[in-house]
This record gives sequence, structure tokens and C-alpha cells, in this order.
Amino acid sequence: MGLGRFLLKRVLQGVLVIWGVITVVFALRLVSPGDPANVLLPPDVDPATRARVIEELGLNQPLHIQYLDFLAGVPFGDFGTSLVSNTPVFSRVLARLPATLELAIVATIVAVIIAIPLGVISATRRHEPADYGATIFSLVGISTPNFWLGVMLIILLAVQFNVFPTSRRPVGLSMVFSMLAAGQFAGAADGFVNWLSHITLPAITLGTYFTALITRLTRSGMLDQLGKTYVRASRAKGLPETLVRYKHVLRNTLIPVITVIGLQLGTLIGGAVITEQVFNWPGLGTLIIDSISRRDWPVIQGSLIVVGVGFVLVNIVVDTLYAYINPRVGFD
Amino acid sequence: MPSNTVDRRTFLKLSGGAAASVALAGCTGGDTGDGETTEETTSGGDTTTTSGETSVGGEADFDLTITQGSLPSGLDPHDHRETPTEVVMLHVYEGVLTRDADGKVLESLATEWSRVDGENAVMFQLRDEVTFHNGDALTAEDVAFSINRIVNDDVGFASPQSDQLAGVTGAEAMDGAVKVTSDGLNPIVFSEFATYCDIMQKSWVEAREQADIAGDMNGTGPFMLDSYTEDEEVALTRYDDYWQDTAPAASVTFRGAAESSTRVNQLLAGESDIVVNVPPQEVQRVNSSDNATIAAAPSTRVIFNALRYDVEPFSSKAFRQALNYAVDVESINQNVLDGFAAATNQPTLPEFVGYNPDLPSYDYDPERAAELVEQSGHAGVELELHTPVGRYLKDLEIAEAVAGFVNDLPNVSVTVRQRDFGSLVDELLTGNIEDKPPWYLIGWGEATFDGGLVMTALLKSDGALTTFSNEQLDELLTRAGNESGETRAQTLMEANAVCNEEAPWVYLNQQYSVYGVNSALNWEARADERIDAYAITKN
Repeated sequence: MGLGRFLLKRVLQGVLVIWGVITVVFALRLVSPGDPANVLLPPDVDPATRARVIEELGLNQPLHIQYLDFLAGVPFGDFGTSLVSNTPVFSRVLARLPATLELAIVATIVAVIIAIPLGVISATRRHEPADYGATIFSLVGISTPNFWLGVMLIILLAVQFNVFPTSRRPVGLSMVFSMLAAGQFAGAADGFVNWLSHITLPAITLGTYFTALITRLTRSGMLDQLGKTYVRASRAKGLPETLVRYKHVLRNTLIPVITVIGLQLGTLIGGAVITEQVFNWPGLGTLIIDSISRRDWPVIQGSLIVVGVGFVLVNIVVDTLYAYINPRVGFD
Repeated sequence: MPSNTVDRRTFLKLSGGAAASVALAGCTGGDTGDGETTEETTSGGDTTTTSGETSVGGEADFDLTITQGSLPSGLDPHDHRETPTEVVMLHVYEGVLTRDADGKVLESLATEWSRVDGENAVMFQLRDEVTFHNGDALTAEDVAFSINRIVNDDVGFASPQSDQLAGVTGAEAMDGAVKVTSDGLNPIVFSEFATYCDIMQKSWVEAREQADIAGDMNGTGPFMLDSYTEDEEVALTRYDDYWQDTAPAASVTFRGAAESSTRVNQLLAGESDIVVNVPPQEVQRVNSSDNATIAAAPSTRVIFNALRYDVEPFSSKAFRQALNYAVDVESINQNVLDGFAAATNQPTLPEFVGYNPDLPSYDYDPERAAELVEQSGHAGVELELHTPVGRYLKDLEIAEAVAGFVNDLPNVSVTVRQRDFGSLVDELLTGNIEDKPPWYLIGWGEATFDGGLVMTALLKSDGALTTFSNEQLDELLTRAGNESGETRAQTLMEANAVCNEEAPWVYLNQQYSVYGVNSALNWEARADERIDAYAITKN
């Protein structure tokens, strides 16, 4: 199968998945406790007014009509209007997306930079102190809850020693780039430092579990590859050990690791909710939580759909990359 | 999609007319004071209104940062119903009257206010030399326009605040004064204007689209808008041509953080000067820090256990009283709420109109409780207490403590049932008492500081959320609805006496608003949840 057909197939599958997401998100409102009208109206409104609101909201329409109305808006980015701020949901969600992407990507980069060397060291120095250290680190990292780690980092590094700010994101990376483009180099440098200082703790918090996971994965992958025949053959041929390890073994190890990194990036985009909340990071996670507490259904639905679409896109890219990197897999 | 066909404003507009407009939903509006005692008050025009340097001692020109649970939903002062929005608005926009921290009505943009003889109308004499932040002078047309913008759908838009000026039908500009007409006598009109109705500039509003008004500000207040980033920050700077002394603080920045530990950390790290809603478990951490302290004030929210009078065993007065004697509210306030709560013995809070200070309290008395249970004939009964989780300060912990105390009685047993707030509210709102759980914990915030509204909604036979029916109480509340001023307050006090005796609720606590404050600041928390940066000075 060629790349074109492969992509087409994956995109069509993605559309199906997104349709499923939209349907589930729509159904969520129906099965959630708390009638939207009751949550938004004061308790002592007279029944006639209540009925009027329900009618104007379309909540008295047959379910299939409500569902089709909802479905029809999505392709055009029409997720309705926020009940709280009265602004279009789509622009609200889009405004939050950069913060979440920044956080997810930086967390991934941090994880990859730390985890892959750690995994390699761990595998090549098996049963040495370095290996034990890495193993303990992974174990602790995998079993530490995000929110606890976040709060501890804040209390220690932000409140106690004042090294980092506790929360917020006053500067976005796009602002830094636009300053750079405008030639304001000093401003851009300041902005970047400011951005970096704010994103460090949340990125560590979000990335720790991920780091631990990739370390484990790299280690076991390396060990697996090191036992293969081609490694012995390469060594027998007299290739330097470094070349064997880093050029051949690591490369083969990284193929499954890249898949996991890609999939985890998708998880991070949707799963940053708690970390964002702890650090008051103005991303999708905070938006979803705020909207849930205010029962702002259009915003909740819009955000969930965007997260779903993001996940599907990441999956398609990962699959394509995987097939591209590993010729044995092919586009089928 | 369905929810696109009605916007929030329509929602809120439709909800107007309801007197107790916040209550269960959890957002107490910014209001204060004792509704009707302020009528007919007139002030002279001789105030110290010279503008100039601040007269307050202490350091000037400091910057303030205030972190609330959330940021404003928009910057149009007439287009919201939330306390966090109102707190930001009050720094930029002002009304004709205002209130001090004790709820007393004070002059603001009006210097005199009086009723017009022979008409259902009142007159406000406006202050001279007030300017908007764009430099233009305040006129009577601006004031009349602002009032009409709220009460009249045809002026600009349908404001969700029209019922906050209940009874007001319109306003007309006179020479240096504004005449406000009502559809009746309107005994609480000055009280309404002391709390609501921010004055905007007519020409400024008319030159803008609704979306622009929601993103910009032009008021007469002590601070003017510097920058606004939706969902992130509202930055205000001092207005140097303010008609009173200029504010001690040079700037005020509002931020939002929904997570309480995030707010506390911002305070302790020195990133924020005032943070709202510090949870009891964090109080110690704030107090033991070098740079911050706790400030607390009673709020307008009462937490109670409703008991359905139409089902056994709660149909028995002796049993209801027994529950009140069985629960050690003081202990709950100390141990669960760390002292940030006050015990209650009637539906009306001490700050409200109609509070009766002479009623006995149900002090902890388990022997008496057990006796009363025997007397009621319901010994050995098994009960279930429904409670929302995370809606009110320590709601589940309070419910568990209540159940624990009742379980200590030899002849009653209780289990706590945790409920989602939304589904619990659905049951409370159907209008049928049969749909409600027989025994549940709930909180009620009453922005109007009026005990009559609380009892009418929750305890009158035909109340929207009632769990009680008592002829004497019904009669007193009906009577209060046709009275005003001190007579009405007396009637409400009698109604509270009936409620105290009949024990339709297990009386729990009055919730407190707890703030964390930078120790370098002089600021006192207010019952109406207003944070007034103008009144803040630095040591």
C-alpha cells in the first residue's frame, strides 16, 4: 500500500473516531446529573419561566434533532456560545490550545532528554549501581501522583526557596517568537527566560511519569536488542562497542519508543488537567475544569472534542512515522 | 446546536424577578446591609470631596495583586451576576449610593436622595465635578441612561440585573438630578441603589458594540482599566482625577486561580497580596508564614440540615428537637471548620433583617436528645443523611460529624449518603416535597441580607424549596410581605421564634469567608465579600 492510500485510510478511520467522540460528548450531557436549566437558573424561578428557558435552549426538542443540530455545527467550528462569558466556544478553546501544547511538548522533550540516556546507561551497565539508580528512579517516578509532585515542587522550590514562580503563564512562546520576529531581541530573551521559569515546574511534574516510563522502555528494549545475533556479528566483525551500542542497537530500540512517545504526547494533551489546575496553567485542562464547575456545557463539549481530534491526529502521525522508520512494517 | 439558541444573558434575564437569586447555586452576590431601615435617609452635601493626595497614613504608591477563584466573565458592569466580577467592577464603576463595611448606606455619585411627594418616585441630586476616566464630566443623562439600561430591555440590551432594581420602572434626567420612578411605593429602593446600578457614560456605551463594552471600561471610580486579558488578568491603575482622595495603591491586578492551594502558594510566595477562600486546613500554613495572615468575616451563607415535616420521624417536633440537641455544632465549628464558622439557632443570620437575638440555642445535650427520641415514639429508627460533596466548605466532613453525633444516641442510627450536587438540586427543585430526600445537608446564601426571603423560600408551606408547613409561620410571613421597615422586622423576628421552637432544620453553622492577606497591608474582610482596594493601605 502506498503512502497516499495509507493516509487516506487512516484519516477516514480518524473521522469515524471523531464522530464517536462527538457522540459520546453529546451523550455525556444527557446522562450527567444536573439539568442545565436547573444549574443555571435560580431555584425559585416560576415553572413557566423554567419551561421557557428549556424551550429556548432546545432541551425540549427530540433527542435526534438536538444531536443532529450539534453534529452539524462541529465541521464549521461551531461549538456554540459559552453560557458564562457569552463568547464563541471555538475561539475560547483555540486560545487555550497553545498553553497546553507548550506544556505537553516541553514535558515530552524533558522526558526524552533524560530518559533515553538513562535507559541506555541502565541497560549497558546492567546490575551496576547506575542501573539500580535508574531503576529506583523509574519506580518512584511511575508511582508518584502528578498532583502531589506538583504541590511538593511548588512548596519546596517556589514558596520555600523562591527559585521558580508558583503558577501562571504570563508569557506564551508565541509572544517570544513575535518579539523575535520584530527584532526585539532583548525583549525576546527576557520573555523566553520568563516563559522558561514558569513552565519548568509544570513540565517536570507532567513529565516525570513519562520519563520513568521511557527509561524502562529504553532499558528493556536495549537489553532485548543486545542479545540479538546481529550484535554478536557486529562485535565479531570488530566494530567498536560504542558504534554497536549507539548506532545499531539504540536505533532499533528507538522504533517502539518513538511510538510510545507519540501516543503519550496525545495522552499529555488531554491528561494535563490536574497539572494545569495545580499550576493555574491557562490551558485546556483548566478550561475544562472551570467549565465543569460552572456547568458551561458548550465549552466542556468543545474542549473535549478538540482534545479528541488532537489525539486522533497524533495517532495518525505516529502510525505514519512508524511505518516510515521501520520498513518491515510498511503502509498496511 | 441547541444551547446556541439562547445566550447567557437571556438565561439570566429570564431568571430575573426572582428575589432570592443566588442561594443554592453557590454564588453570593455582593450586597450588604439591612434592607429597609435605610429608607428616607437623606444626607447633606457637605462632604470632604476635595481630590488630591491621599490623607491616609502609611506608604503610598504600592502595587496590589488580588487572586480570586475566578476572573470576571466580562467587563460590562450591567451584564453579570457574579461576585468575582462585581469585585473587579466596583473599583472602576460607581453607583449613586454606596455602603460602608457595616452595610450603612452612604452617598457616592449622589449627594442627596429623597422621595418625591405624591408620586411613586425618588430623586437623586448628583455630585458636581465627577469625571469619567476618559475625561468627560458625569451628567444626569448618564445616570438616567445607566438605570434605564438595566431596567429597560429597549435601552441597549436585556440586562440580567433588572430584578436587582425590583420595582424601578425608569429614570429621567433633570437639572443636576435624576428622578427614578417605581411601579409602587418601593420601600427598599435606596437599599437597592446602594448595592446595585453602576453608572456608565451614555455616549461611551452608545458608540460601542456590546462585545467592545465587555472588553473595555470607562467609569468614575478610583481605578481605571490598564489591560485586560480574558481568563488571565485584569490590570487597573489609579485614576488621578478621582473626585475623592486618590487611592493609596498605585495599581490593582486581579487574577483567578480555581485551586485553593494554588492561591495560598501564590500568597506565600509573595506573588499575590490577597487571596480568597483559604480552606481551613491551609489556615495554619498561612498564619505560620512570615509574610501573610488570615482575615475572616461571617458570610451570608447558612449551612443546615433540612428535615421533611411530612415523613416520619421528622414529622415529630420532639424528634426534630432531639436531633438539634444531639449535634454539638460548636465542636464541629472548632474541629471541622477550625473556628471559621458560627453556630445558628434560627434560619436568619445575625446580619440579616429579621434576626431575633433573644432566642435560646440548642446546646449539646445528648441525654435530653435521647429522652426526646423516646418521647417521640421513634426510638430505634434508622436514618440516611444526604449531603453534597465539595459544594460547601467541608460539607461531607460536617455531614459525617452530624451523623457521628446522632449515632452516639443509644436509640437512633444514621448513615451518610454522598450525593452529586447537581442531582441533589434536581430533586430539591421539582416543586414537590415528596421528591426531596427526607434529610439533607444544604447551604443557602442570601445576597439581600433578608431573613424574610430565606424563610419564605425554604420554610413557608408554598415556598419554592420548602420542607416545612406551619400555619403560624405562614401567617407571619404573609404579614411580613405586606409590611415595611421596623414593623416587618418585628414580624420576621416572631417568625424566627416559631422556627427556633419548631426546629424544622438541624441548625448548623454560618459559613465564614476566609482570606489570606499580605501582612504588610491594612485590610479588613467584609461580610458582603467585597474586596475594596481603595480602602487598603500599606504599613
